[in-house]
Amino acid sequence: MMVIDESRCVGCEACVLACKTENRVPEGFYRDWVVQELRGEYPTLSLSIRSERCNHCEDAPCVSNCPTGASYYRGDGTVQIDRDKCTGCRACIAACPYDARFVHPDGYVDKCTLCVHRLDAGRPTACEEVCPTGAIAVGDASDPTSEVARRLKHESAYVLSPEAGTKPNLHYVRGGSAR
Amino acid sequence: MNPHVEIESTRSLAGALGERFWGWEIPLYLFLGGVVAGLMVAVSALLLWRGKDRATAAMRTGLWLAPVLLGTGMGALFLDLSYKLHVYRFYLAARPSSPMSWGSWILLLVVPVQLALVLALPPARLARQLDRMPDAVRRIRALALRHFRGLAAAGLAGGVALGVYTGILLSATVARPLWSSGALGPLFLASGASTGVATLMLFEKDEMAHGTLARFDIAAIAVEVALLGTWLIGLLGQGPLYREAAGVVLWGSYAPLFLGFVVFGGLLVPVLLEALALKGKAAHSRVVPALVLAGGFLLRVVVVYAGQVIGFVRA
Repeated sequence: MMVIDESRCVGCEACVLACKTENRVPEGFYRDWVVQELRGEYPTLSLSIRSERCNHCEDAPCVSNCPTGASYYRGDGTVQIDRDKCTGCRACIAACPYDARFVHPDGYVDKCTLCVHRLDAGRPTACEEVCPTGAIAVGDASDPTSEVARRLKHESAYVLSPEAGTKPNLHYVRGGSAR
Repeated sequence: MNPHVEIESTRSLAGALGERFWGWEIPLYLFLGGVVAGLMVAVSALLLWRGKDRATAAMRTGLWLAPVLLGTGMGALFLDLSYKLHVYRFYLAARPSSPMSWGSWILLLVVPVQLALVLALPPARLARQLDRMPDAVRRIRALALRHFRGLAAAGLAGGVALGVYTGILLSATVARPLWSSGALGPLFLASGASTGVATLMLFEKDEMAHGTLARFDIAAIAVEVALLGTWLIGLLGQGPLYREAAGVVLWGSYAPLFLGFVVFGGLLVPVLLEALALKGKAAHSRVVPALVLAGGFLLRVVVVYAGQVIGFVRA
């Protein structure tokens, strides 16, 4: 599970650069990106900044729509892509409410893996490690002492596009202190 | 009132968002799949009802057109794959939750049935060459003739399966508001039936048979119009995002194509001409099926393209 505290995000895009470098994401494509959302009318404006990526949904339509089993749930609940099984049919891209997937120039579909290669080695994800304000936290939500569990208790914790009904594993805490 | 919202992102600023993920190949495939489904259902039903001895030349033409058109559609589907060397992967998995997986298996099962039907009721040119064909082909033909009613029933079932699958392929994806409707599957099924019958009408020379086909086509178009209304009215009442998605075809960039060429030119004009022809006030002509076919193709183009305009993500 990942929880991003919007009140800490300054939109520096270090997470985007770290991800591109760590995962050799080709030019013009993004596994994560920063969104700036300005709401209201002057002078009552509010600005929220957040880092977005694959939501590693519990009920992922990309997995259910994949005809070959290339998109699958790993044992830890993350959603992964087996490149050897991918045909590039893009059914998963059509099914993703978060537009988190893209066709890699080599032909297969690509997206955020939650840096499982790093998590398996006991290291934080590249975006979490590089974030200068600690906005990004990855961990086990079932452990009540974890940072993600603590953040999830915040009353302003939310998920993107809940109407899609996909049970995302990426949560956000709105502006205002989650500390 | 909704607050004013301005939204931008790394991707929108870099121009890496909003590109179409499915191009012309998918609407072409969905159209041809629908036509073939309609052809198989119509011809198989007629064969079961009237018997193979009363098969018309147009029905025989429909039988051999089915695998040709389906093969063309499958070719378009293959061209759409961005990892073409992995096409065999479709047949190393059977995934009940994926309509595309059912589809690949349905295609695999339907094509042999189509070919057996062609051998059983070959067009004149092929019939003349049957004697020169290998023994195996003649044995298959004998088997197909012996079990003809079962084969026609399989053709009917295969046509329905193909039509249902091409219909629900889009609505099974939850991420595109325009496709998020249970009416889309039956709509494509009705359109497939109508375009399949229109294909038969292109070749039917018998006036009485033409009348039967025209009556069936009018009924299919009436169902199609009702389903179009159900689909769009349902979206308009579903919330702002869905209303915006419906707006793309009703008053947005795809409205002229949808209202002018799909609804007016592809449904209302042909149904009017068919009704006049049935009353004897106009002659049956190939213009009507041509309009139905063009409208059916453009319906897929509009639905597939317009559905990619509005998603949940804005930046």
